[in-house]
Amino acid sequence: MILIFNLTFRLALWLLLAPLLPGVINKVKAWVAGRRGAPMFQLYYDLAKQWRKGVVMSTLASPGFIAGPAVAWAAVTGAAMLMPLGPAGGALSFRGDVLLLVYLLALARFCTAWAAMETGSAFEGMGAAREVSYAVLAEAAIIAAVLSLSVQTGSVSLITMLSPSAGAGAVLLAAGLFAVLLSENCRVPFDDPNTHLELTMIHEAMILDHSGPPLAAILHGASVKLLLFAVLLVQAVLPMRELSPLAAAGALAAGVLTVTLSVGLVESLMARLAFRRVTLLLTTAFLLCLFALLVAWKGGAK
Amino acid sequence: MIKPLITISGVGMLASILAAARAPRLWLGGVLAGAAGGLGAAVLALSTGFVWEWRSELTIGGEAVHLRLDALSALFLALLSLIGGAGAVYGREYWDGRAHPRSAWSERVCWSALVLCLGVVLLTVNGLHFLIALELSTLSAYFLVTLDRQRSEVRAAGWLYLAASHAATLCLLAFFTLMAVRTGSWELASMRDRPELAPLFWLALAGFGLKAGLFPLHIWLPSAHANAPSHVSAILSGVTLKIGIYGLVRFSGWLPMPPQAGWVVAFLGVSSAVLGVAFALGQHDLKRLLAYHSVENIGIILIGLGFALVAMGQGNARWGRLALAGGLLHVWNHGLFKSLLFFAAGSVLHATGTREMSRLGGLWRLMPWTASLFALGAVAISGLPPLNGFVSEWLVYLGLFDATLARGSSAWAAIPAAILLGVTGALALACFVKVCGVVFLGAPRSRAAADARESGPAMRGAMLVLGAGCVAIGLAPVLFWPAVLRAVDVWNPVWGGAATPVALSSLGMLHVALTLLALGAAGWLWRKARRGGLRRAVTWDCGYAAPTPRMQYTAGSFSSIINEWFASILRPERHEHRPEGLLPVSASFTEHTPETVLERIVMPAGRVVMRVSTAARGLQHGRVQSYLLYLLIGLAALAVLVVLGGGS
Repeated sequence: MILIFNLTFRLALWLLLAPLLPGVINKVKAWVAGRRGAPMFQLYYDLAKQWRKGVVMSTLASPGFIAGPAVAWAAVTGAAMLMPLGPAGGALSFRGDVLLLVYLLALARFCTAWAAMETGSAFEGMGAAREVSYAVLAEAAIIAAVLSLSVQTGSVSLITMLSPSAGAGAVLLAAGLFAVLLSENCRVPFDDPNTHLELTMIHEAMILDHSGPPLAAILHGASVKLLLFAVLLVQAVLPMRELSPLAAAGALAAGVLTVTLSVGLVESLMARLAFRRVTLLLTTAFLLCLFALLVAWKGGAK
Repeated sequence: MIKPLITISGVGMLASILAAARAPRLWLGGVLAGAAGGLGAAVLALSTGFVWEWRSELTIGGEAVHLRLDALSALFLALLSLIGGAGAVYGREYWDGRAHPRSAWSERVCWSALVLCLGVVLLTVNGLHFLIALELSTLSAYFLVTLDRQRSEVRAAGWLYLAASHAATLCLLAFFTLMAVRTGSWELASMRDRPELAPLFWLALAGFGLKAGLFPLHIWLPSAHANAPSHVSAILSGVTLKIGIYGLVRFSGWLPMPPQAGWVVAFLGVSSAVLGVAFALGQHDLKRLLAYHSVENIGIILIGLGFALVAMGQGNARWGRLALAGGLLHVWNHGLFKSLLFFAAGSVLHATGTREMSRLGGLWRLMPWTASLFALGAVAISGLPPLNGFVSEWLVYLGLFDATLARGSSAWAAIPAAILLGVTGALALACFVKVCGVVFLGAPRSRAAADARESGPAMRGAMLVLGAGCVAIGLAPVLFWPAVLRAVDVWNPVWGGAATPVALSSLGMLHVALTLLALGAAGWLWRKARRGGLRRAVTWDCGYAAPTPRMQYTAGSFSSIINEWFASILRPERHEHRPEGLLPVSASFTEHTPETVLERIVMPAGRVVMRVSTAARGLQHGRVQSYLLYLLIGLAALAVLVVLGGGS
């Protein structure tokens, strides 16, 4: 009974808070550019609008065109439910849950790319190809980061892994994971969510043909994924175990806000990289995580 | 209880061979009875851990027939029975007597012979009988591969398969005879206490590695699997490759191991996994692509075995048990989803007559069963939850993580292996998004694809059975776990007894929950879309007015980014004719990934051997005077040897 209550509460928290993050990012971007910007809750309005709309589907598309976004949304939500939340701990924790989380995100990627291939459009094929190709490097970085946390805490379950002791490795890990966050969530400098040139897009190019409720599912899933990565990053770096529950909750919230603000600042101050450079930056992220792993290894050997 | 089942199985298979030429129905009944018997015996042995042994008075080649079924051989026997039975049903429709009046009966004979011989390989504990059965299975597989031997590429593939298999047989002949010479008997049993036998493992690795299609030894695999009829590709990939794995697991459990063995196997496993999938991404031929994925999955299995060997060398560390359990579960999983994928690819080939992905597309509308079952197999082979591929990869990962946490020398191998396993998974995902998208989604790229027809009930039924297996292992891994553990404990009894706590029940429950959530979400969204007014329109494609099927992203363009990363290994051949001038008339670009190892290493080496042999042939020309001269020279050389050697 308590478990059901716990799960429902978490689910509501994830689903309701997630669309706030893109709003914050856009506000930061507007503020840096000296504009007033869209309201903080714009994505909520957009989701509500899309949900009420009808669907236009390509004549070529199969039911997978609609099932894809739904399964991807379910996978990302499932991954979020695995994530422990600071002082509240995890609801579903078991040995090796971290790998399930990583692979649920991969399942979401498979489904989004599948739905993109449905329409037979060259642009969407291009977007899907880029998404799955760059994810190869991001996956290497994530596994290295997971290994580093695992070595640091001597554990393979998220609940213990995500309460590390802060150290030199934390800075490296934070930098590496931040780059992965930007890449996996298709933010500048990897991808530009605001661009209008299809040839330079990744994620947006995949969803060109989606409309109505499926588009809402995609947008909402993307915001949950962003929140998931922000929470992961904060918990992987901050030693929250040592704080009192209230302070830990505050630290988590402040950390997620900081990450969101940083994404907004990066987006305002940097331009999108040329595609050739994306590989280079992702390799750098991988190396940062690998160095964090080596630091964790040295630290533990003492 | 096991004996009658094995008897039914053997009698069924023998009867099916006799009935194959005249009575196809009887043949099918025999094969199915044989498969059911084998499956029943395997399930009994796996669920009870009972070891069944049977010695007969009957001798073959001067050796008494001696069969033994323990959990390890039962694991492989279960897979063989399932694929053997499903493939027979599938083959009835795929290679039916009306379309192939000349070869249908030989297909039936060879199928039964192949399944029977592989069963004998798994059961026998006599080195001589092992070799005989393996050789007979190779021959029947050769005839199955070359059923369609009017086509020259089929003959070439068959020849390569035969040559590579015999290279493997040569290594294994040396392996078994040396073992027989040193132990004084052809009987096989645990010989852990004879350290002088350890170096023999390298011969076994070469022989069984060739059979299993390990990375540098995989040269025969892509062409044989691509050109064989699809149900034959399925059994070759799903079961015959696993015989190589069976040999490696069996004899690494029975023989003392050289200390480096684990490291070498793990290294070969990692390189097979990454390079197998890298080559797969470069393919344009649907079945050749699937064949390269076999190399990848064999790599994953060997990562499990390699780390288990390393663990055994380091005082039987418990993480080795997890790694090997993951590897052995992957044997089942790969057998299931790869056979499913080959069946589905065969269904596409049957309907369209082409394996070329650039001529397919949009098949989901005409072949919904094939498309959805292929998608199921694709999710499973990419190692995604909630299907079976993820369960075994998860176990291997846990083994690797524990090896890292153990902080011994093994960690330095486990860290790169874990990272590269992640990369392999992501690459496989990229590859299968490409295949599904290009073959089944979008618009048909050719007349053949537009006129495709869904395959009949036999082919669909066989695919459904295998798909159900993938779902079952994914959703209820706890049911299969004790069986896998029994096989692992046969391999290394020291690990037996104490339980290794693994959160498989949590994983299984979450898989079920995820499946329900995903199905619910999909159903809800579909209903919502239908109610809100679902409108069909031409693909928007940013406002392009007249999209044609030729404008779709192709397999080559989809994988071009990753191919570029691996170009130094894949060595793709590119021919490009760039557009020139103000109003370019023509432009073209073609890219082809060759069989790099075969064409760049094995064939040049073969040419050198040919040249040397041709030169040596010049000595033999039929002139008696010269032969007398050779004799004189030979005698003189012997005399010199005797004079010099006499001093010492």
